[in-house]
Amino acid sequence: MTGGAIKAVLAAAVVVFGLAATADRMVANSAGGSSTGTGTGGVDAAKAGPPVVTATVINADDSPDVFRRAASARDAFGFPVGANRTGKHVHDTNRPTDYDEVEEVDRTGQPLALTQFDPTGRLVAAVRFDRPSVTSPKIDKEAATTAATRGLSASGVAVAGQYQADADAVLGGWNVHWDRSQDGIKVRGDETRVHVWPDGRIQSVAHVEHPLAAGPADRLGIDDAKKVVNGQFDRWFAGRASSYAVQQMTLEWVGPNATFDAAKLSAAPAPYRLAWVANVKPSGVAADYVSLVTLYVDAGDGTILGGDVVE
Amino acid sequence: MKRAEILLVSLLLAASTLGATAQAASAHRGDVWSNSDGFSSNCLGFTDTYPQQLYNLANAQLTRLGYAPLRGDLGPAFTTSAFLGNVAYPWAVYAHTHGDNYWAASGYPNVDSAILQDPGSGACNDSGRDKIRSSAIKSATHGGVFNLVIMSTCMLGANSSTMPDAFQIEKTKSSTQKEFYLGYVNSTYDSAAFRFEQAFWSYLNANILHVRSAYSAFTYAMSIGGYAYPDSADPFQANWWGNPNFNGVPGW
Repeated sequence: MTGGAIKAVLAAAVVVFGLAATADRMVANSAGGSSTGTGTGGVDAAKAGPPVVTATVINADDSPDVFRRAASARDAFGFPVGANRTGKHVHDTNRPTDYDEVEEVDRTGQPLALTQFDPTGRLVAAVRFDRPSVTSPKIDKEAATTAATRGLSASGVAVAGQYQADADAVLGGWNVHWDRSQDGIKVRGDETRVHVWPDGRIQSVAHVEHPLAAGPADRLGIDDAKKVVNGQFDRWFAGRASSYAVQQMTLEWVGPNATFDAAKLSAAPAPYRLAWVANVKPSGVAADYVSLVTLYVDAGDGTILGGDVVE
Repeated sequence: MKRAEILLVSLLLAASTLGATAQAASAHRGDVWSNSDGFSSNCLGFTDTYPQQLYNLANAQLTRLGYAPLRGDLGPAFTTSAFLGNVAYPWAVYAHTHGDNYWAASGYPNVDSAILQDPGSGACNDSGRDKIRSSAIKSATHGGVFNLVIMSTCMLGANSSTMPDAFQIEKTKSSTQKEFYLGYVNSTYDSAAFRFEQAFWSYLNANILHVRSAYSAFTYAMSIGGYAYPDSADPFQANWWGNPNFNGVPGW
């Protein structure tokens, strides 16, 4: 029996025998899994949990500022104008984030483009969903940067300092981005990013900016921070057939997170803190399945703020 | 008039009813697998919390998209034999684990992509033992149809990946079949995969009538920025193949 036939038979069997209730039980039972616990409820709770996206419809009459900002951004980026425009306030408990969104839609209701603004009215994302012609001319890096800068300027999004422009190997065109820094120190992940199609039109704009905590009065030196990193990895790898090498230590503003501590998963997002960011390369057994562990060490008191993993 | 207080509670209630009806009328199974033991304190000294977070997210969102029942597992039941023994049945497959484009048994330059099974309680991954090869997956599918395949791993969205073909998904961006494959191109931080998948699912499932396409959800998620990446040689980059108009809802 082919795979398609197997699926057809199974689907029909459930219809015929009315196994909906059983299917629901199968969902619950199949959740199974380890009981490592995430602090946000188990797997079953996640399946049965509340909606992750709650939307409140808004329109140009009750939210004129949102629609005005959206039209301005749409035109600044050269996005298509839809036959209709829909708006909503979105409360996304999943990411978590709140934003106002205006979508340009065609006559069939399909989205052509959208713009999103945070509660202060600042643009956070602008995206067009059509696709460029594959036969269009291909602009170079300088032209892409000019297009990105011109669009941002027209929309009122301010950028300053060094930018980087990278070819986009999947979507084509260029990603032009200005990475945020505060007092000369990088804010991890914060950026203004523009994707420019090969034909020079802007496909998307993102602005990511997190609040920062006050910097520490006394800053931990790199040598002391490295001792914290080595101490942590010595404890983690003790008795295991793996070792490690600290590849890089840089000062960055980082978001505390729950990567290494499930008890922190339910914590509200905290302002970014100044930290020593250590990239640590495992060797031995662990190198088979983890290529990098990144550790955030608070630059003030040396506590572990979180980190990241490349599996 | 103030901002319209049209909370979509009623619509969500309607969706719940419609969803229940839809589930009663058909069965389109989804399998969600996540390797947790390989990233646990037994192997690393700490427990990486992302495998469970990503597993929870995929389960919740595939349900909202209409896949039911959901099978698969988090942890030791994610074995090669369990994966291959079940892969003929689901319409959607999600896997979060280590993945790479390994050389095929025939050697360079042929690739036979693979994901690693969970090593089992108290054990750590051994890539020589734990690979689930795309060639083995393809054989086990018996040529079946897959609507949605998400490889939440490193590398399996790269052009050299043979994983899409394991699920009969051609590496084209203009398919007319109801199929969509999602993967990451480079070495990818867990946080970046989680951020991307949260945005992908939030956009795709925001509309209860499922009028948005998986391609639009991909485009949205790629466009929000803010992704951490290990180094300049590994920028964050997701990739997709399949039908740009497919909304991800199961079925032919």
